[in-house]
Amino acid sequence: MSHFLLMVLYSALVSLFFAALWRRRLRDQVVLFLQLFLGMVGVGLALAWLMYPFPSGPPTPIP
Amino acid sequence: MTPPEPQSAPAAEARAPVARANPWLCALLAWLIPGAGHLVLRRWGRGGIFLALILTSLVVGVALEGKLWHVIPGQPLSYLGTLTCAGLGIPFLVLRFVLDYQGNLHAQGYEYGAAFILTAGLMNLLVILDAWDIARGLKE
Repeated sequence: MSHFLLMVLYSALVSLFFAALWRRRLRDQVVLFLQLFLGMVGVGLALAWLMYPFPSGPPTPIP
Repeated sequence: MTPPEPQSAPAAEARAPVARANPWLCALLAWLIPGAGHLVLRRWGRGGIFLALILTSLVVGVALEGKLWHVIPGQPLSYLGTLTCAGLGIPFLVLRFVLDYQGNLHAQGYEYGAAFILTAGLMNLLVILDAWDIARGLKE
């Protein structure tokens, strides 16, 4: 499974959990779920984008 | 006259009178079986949701062959990790002592799986506190 799908799955599970734990009304639960889910995925993508210039493995040999 | 606001099953349950139960019993059951504390308190919807979410997180973690923490003398973080995993109750005990599951260090999903398993344990610890608060009448 790809890293991105795992991140989306993790975000969905955690967001659903806190929406059920912290809110009682359906509308509030949906709002909190969307805030948490989109926040986690968005921040994850932003961090990935910021780290993109950095190498992720050993340097490629110079020809 | 404004139409009634839609409520989720947990919201409707929150308005129901709190079933009387011993807080210690609720906490113990909530620890042993995720969501069981809420079921005793007749919070069927929330108990079911918590059970499903926690078990899903645990199953994904185990499917990825993630690490199940155990105590390593001299490494304080291992105590926290073990305590967190032990928050899962019976599923932790079964994995640890019946199936002798520890994870696979060489698996691709070892670290990711560990995150899912730890998260499942942390979620259940919060669920225990929630059941405790409801049983004591501190929360709806």
